[in-house]
Amino acid sequence: MIRSEPLSLRLRESRPLSPTLRHLSLDASDGGLLPTSMPGAHLSLTLAGRQRTFRNSYSIVSRHDERAHYEIIVRRTAESRGGSAFIYDELRVGDVISASTPNSQFPLQNLARKHLLIAGGIGITPMLSFLAALRERQQALELHQVARMAEVEVVEKLLGSFASHDINIHAGRSTLRLDEVLARQPLGTHVYCCGPQALMDAVDAAAAATGWPASHVHRENFGAAGGEPFTVRLAKSGREIAVGEHETMLEALENAGVPMASLCRGGACGECRTGLLDGTPDHRDHFLTDSEKASCTAIMPCVSRAKTSSLTIDL
Amino acid sequence: MVMESRNNAASAFAEGTKLSDFDERWLIVSHSQAIPSPHDRDRDHEFRSVQHLLIALRHRLSREFMGFRLYVIGTEPFVWKVRGTAEEFGLGCDEVRLFAIGSLARRVFCNHCRTITEGVKTDIVICSGCRANLFVRDHFSRRLNAFAGVQVDAEVPGEIPEAKELYL
Amino acid sequence: MSTVFKTDETFRDDFRYGNSDEAILRFPFPFAEDSYMYSVNIEPHVRGGPTGAFQAAVDVDEHYVAECRERALVLQQDPNRCLVLPHMMAAQWDTLELIMESLATDYPEEFQLFRNGPDWTWYNKPLGISQRFIFGDATTLPYEPFEYITRQAQGDFTLQDQRDNNLFVDGGMVTTQADWSLEFNVGMTFHEWHGPVPVAHDLGVFDRALEFLLRLQYGKPVRRLNWTVTVNPRLDTSPENYPIWGPDRTTVTPENVGDKVHLRVELQTLFRLPRSNAILFGVRAYLASVSELARVPKWGRRLHRVLRDLHPELQTYKGLTRYRPTVVNYLAPFDDGEPNSSGIAPDTLQLRAKPPW
Repeated sequence: MIRSEPLSLRLRESRPLSPTLRHLSLDASDGGLLPTSMPGAHLSLTLAGRQRTFRNSYSIVSRHDERAHYEIIVRRTAESRGGSAFIYDELRVGDVISASTPNSQFPLQNLARKHLLIAGGIGITPMLSFLAALRERQQALELHQVARMAEVEVVEKLLGSFASHDINIHAGRSTLRLDEVLARQPLGTHVYCCGPQALMDAVDAAAAATGWPASHVHRENFGAAGGEPFTVRLAKSGREIAVGEHETMLEALENAGVPMASLCRGGACGECRTGLLDGTPDHRDHFLTDSEKASCTAIMPCVSRAKTSSLTIDL
Repeated sequence: MVMESRNNAASAFAEGTKLSDFDERWLIVSHSQAIPSPHDRDRDHEFRSVQHLLIALRHRLSREFMGFRLYVIGTEPFVWKVRGTAEEFGLGCDEVRLFAIGSLARRVFCNHCRTITEGVKTDIVICSGCRANLFVRDHFSRRLNAFAGVQVDAEVPGEIPEAKELYL
Repeated sequence: MSTVFKTDETFRDDFRYGNSDEAILRFPFPFAEDSYMYSVNIEPHVRGGPTGAFQAAVDVDEHYVAECRERALVLQQDPNRCLVLPHMMAAQWDTLELIMESLATDYPEEFQLFRNGPDWTWYNKPLGISQRFIFGDATTLPYEPFEYITRQAQGDFTLQDQRDNNLFVDGGMVTTQADWSLEFNVGMTFHEWHGPVPVAHDLGVFDRALEFLLRLQYGKPVRRLNWTVTVNPRLDTSPENYPIWGPDRTTVTPENVGDKVHLRVELQTLFRLPRSNAILFGVRAYLASVSELARVPKWGRRLHRVLRDLHPELQTYKGLTRYRPTVVNYLAPFDDGEPNSSGIAPDTLQLRAKPPW
């Protein structure tokens, strides 16, 4: 399958699941078949707002082999960088938006004898496509979803068709004993985690403490939250671009008209890697090696920020 | 810790490491009266042969949990055989450590007839399956636990170089 | 597609094989410069390129029917030339979908695919196949999906599982290879299966290639060219059958070299697969005799220079040592010393006349 241009999608349906969760269904604007998606894949949407353009990635929650449409769930957040606010307030059924071909930084492991899925909040979204694929392949799985009390009902509905002894919903973190869950998994289990940073870090720590090899632990980052504003200086042109507290360096550069390569926009794929010449980076990616991060010679602008008030990059 | 024999096993240990650092030790003693202990509290177990040990290992791995580590000391064919068994039960390369000691003799997979010839010490060997004179390459397959052997005189039959004893 | 399939060709025994003028001009000549050394040389695989061989996602040419028949013969004699490890079933279906959709898109007169949910019907006119099946249910096909569809495609295919920051060749259909063994290599990592290739390891070629492939994106396939030289238009130059074809290498004479010695070019394509996240590696072998290629003046000059100056380790690795000098001498008269344009494409659509034999 070869695609040379982005997908053109039309919003065909949009319905609220809760005050802060909205379910969207997108089909091909020409009415044709969409490319087969990938379990755990995300879609990068280009949302043309009035003042600026947003590029946000959302996990596809529908079955990967559903080619008539792609379904996503979008959470409205108070500190939204604007993309989700655009979706809630501006986007209308029938609107056409541009999207990347589905991409996955979070694939199912073919050799896994069991798949342990741990999610919190909106992290449930990639798990929904995993569940559909794993049930179809009749593979062993165990899901733990941590939900706020107020969202348990919504989560139960979303997980409804998959409900079984191996699906567990926890109202809050306290009933999820990660050490115990991880220690009792049979050989060959892989764990996949998606959710708030604290949950993913806790899974990493518990896995290390219970002797899991790192190659069996997988996480999907939805991109870091914002941070302190800073300035990024382009060494070759001398331009200085301000990065606001609710936008990523990548977004700021793109909006300033600097051509940037990017793909996952979540710090995992390496596509946006940029040389760093000055300033102290705040690395939030999962692509650079520890020594690359320590040498401060490269940075991933899609998620990383600055510890100093400015950075100079090799562009 | 799984050991093919006691001989030179200590050479596999890093500085400061000793046998008792491993939770459980399985040793092949090549004796028909050997028998592993039936009690969980016992940490040292003896086996009669490779086959005898592998039967117990398969059973043990089918009941183990994530966090398990397997260490193997022995000749190359032995360590890869154990590694292959471990993979069948879901252990990945981060969870199995191998240390090869002893003879360098090779198992050779004949690319033409698919027979494996054991204990090969020379760089040219007659295939035990199809009688071809095989050149023993340095290319190794973990899955087959053997080195590739390709007919040395395929282009001009009979033109066979002198064999060298390289894998002692 | 106006191609007339040469259904009577053979790639063994009596070697009834030859390229039409069109086939010569569409050949993926591998040398963009007058000398050759390894490089990663990967480019996007798009529909279109310097010659006709790059036109489609999965290329079909006049040898299609004969090559599929040859594949069936190889498999009849050695079923282990198609092997897929059990954990790669999702990748098998990915491959079937990719090849069927590509063929149906690029050659709608010859291949048609109808889908009604999982209920698929496939028509392959050149091979006279009409198959209805349930996508996802291997019991509804006469072979497992990977074998089923690769029996209807030219060239070899392997499946790479991506895990542990590495690629593992965990399956393949390999009947037209240039001397490497699927059965031996199945299960190996990227560096392991490239073990025997000289020089390239030192240049770091494989390290960079692996890093690149681990990030290969769905929908953005890539391609590169590889080449070797074969005596007789023999597709099955497997290590398995080396005792059978090995003696061919001693049969080259100054009288027969032009027609006997073939440049064998592999158009290698790499696709990321959706369900399995695996990589499908296509290795499509094109054969043209040295005399056929010399009918394109630029290619005659270039081939002479490349083979004349080839690095000795590469000569050995590509199995050329015995007859390379004979080939170089044959090509020398076609090299008038004129400069060649860079790039692969022929410099003319007018072929020199066929040599009068």
